[in-house]
Amino acid sequence: MSGRLSAVATVFRRELATVVRTPGYGVLAVGLLVVLGGLLAAGGGGATGFVPAVVDLLFPTEVLVPLAGVVLGYRALLTDSASGELAVIRTYPVRIGEYVAGVVLARLAALGAAVGVPYAVVGVAVWLTAAPDTGIFATHAGVDSPLLYVRFLAFVLLLGGAYVSLAAAVSALAASRRSAIALGTLALVAGVLGGDLVLLRSLAAGASPSTVPASLALTPNGAFRGLVFEHVIGVAFAPEGGFVSTTRAVGSLVGWTLLGAVVAGTTLAYGGRVDAVVERVRGGIGE
Amino acid sequence: MRERPVASLSGVARTYGGVPVLDDVSLDIDPGVTAVIGPNGSGKSTLLGLLTGAVEPTTGTVEHPGATGPKPIGYLPQRVPFRDGFTARETLAFYARLVDDDPDAALDRVGLRDAGDRRVEALSGGMRRLLGIAQAVLGDPSLVVLDEPASGLDPGMRERAFHAAAECADGDTAVVVSSHALDLVDAHADRVVILRRGRVAAAGPLERLLDEHDASTVSELYRVVTGSSGAQTAVADSGAVGNTNGEGGNGDDSEPDVHVTGVSDR
Repeated sequence: MSGRLSAVATVFRRELATVVRTPGYGVLAVGLLVVLGGLLAAGGGGATGFVPAVVDLLFPTEVLVPLAGVVLGYRALLTDSASGELAVIRTYPVRIGEYVAGVVLARLAALGAAVGVPYAVVGVAVWLTAAPDTGIFATHAGVDSPLLYVRFLAFVLLLGGAYVSLAAAVSALAASRRSAIALGTLALVAGVLGGDLVLLRSLAAGASPSTVPASLALTPNGAFRGLVFEHVIGVAFAPEGGFVSTTRAVGSLVGWTLLGAVVAGTTLAYGGRVDAVVERVRGGIGE
Repeated sequence: MRERPVASLSGVARTYGGVPVLDDVSLDIDPGVTAVIGPNGSGKSTLLGLLTGAVEPTTGTVEHPGATGPKPIGYLPQRVPFRDGFTARETLAFYARLVDDDPDAALDRVGLRDAGDRRVEALSGGMRRLLGIAQAVLGDPSLVVLDEPASGLDPGMRERAFHAAAECADGDTAVVVSSHALDLVDAHADRVVILRRGRVAAAGPLERLLDEHDASTVSELYRVVTGSSGAQTAVADSGAVGNTNGEGGNGDDSEPDVHVTGVSDR
């Protein structure tokens, strides 16, 4: 293994061990499973099939998964920088990019377990209990299928990954746990509601409805919703989708994930220098 | 011809919130043990942070011409920062993997092999510091920077911590230690840097400074140069007083206002 990959793997292992040893994340997974089960039981979609289950879960997912992502990421990089351990790690042959990659990848793996497993369990439960035969693997539109749920699960993880990475950026920017919570909450609200509000505002201002698919894909939640309509719900009901451009929506979710990691790395790499420059300017003004 | 220093600071200053913490510091760090002493708030932790790169200078330059290898610098901050939930061996194993070193050998070096399976949060303050020293010397760095390795420790543990630090210093390795334990500085330091109110009040080989200031011990030298009592700071070092936020204070305002500015080893 090359030195760079080895450094990323070493940081990844440590971060994953930290997550595994933090009981709160197990509670998060169990809580998510309970909430998802409750939503399905209340909505009744789970008893009918995968697509009705997805319809029941879609909008709660747009809140629950970002929330889980923020919980998993909001302290990811703050812990080491606040304790002073990052200063120690930086004396080792580990670049900031490698450190951030290791931490974020570990948190994404944790997302796979804490969010992916509850959703997978729900999917298995639907498969076992839904009244119509859901054992058919769809090869064409109009048929409910486990593959549709697998697609939904993949989109859920993409959405969660974007929020984990953005929350990691928040954790790099925050100076304390309290400010990390405040910034994380702000990012969560902006992500869940902000995109839709901006879209509505632009429509009210006279924007053409034909621009909606393109605009929808720009935000993580819009991209997720568009993908679910395009490739899960829409498959069962409409041969022609057109809810969102798949490439644009997937690119948006991956882009938000990369953006979070880049912002986190840049903040950690240059934060100290920026601080020194600010002090220099302050000194110059004071003279 | 003199060999190049392990590290070199030239005209370095650092402010926090516009308040100067270090000002016009120029120093060369050579192999051997260099002790940085001074009252609380005099800039010791900031100076050590600058040496390691953990703190960016507001002005001036910090260079490491003689610090080489995959891990040129080893660092133990004032507050030992290791994560809870990991054993001492796991903690060192993480760092050792980054430099292909042996965590068990590192534990042996500081006498912590028997405590290797204890979680970091279950270690005593002294053991955590020894673990921090073991971490700092992993990878055989040319410059080892230890911020108050003896702080808050009982006499036996203080000696052990300082001894472990001093053992790292050889012909190629510089160990920089900040401390209020002036008796241990007397016993182990080759060179001393005395800070007062963010400036270098005196710096150089210990014997030379003792001669120049007509002092027989580091405590006397400290008193003469800073105008304050080393005994008082030794009490502070016992753990009753902690400089929890590194530096940034204005020092002891009761001290006489005697500044010896611009004095350095160069």
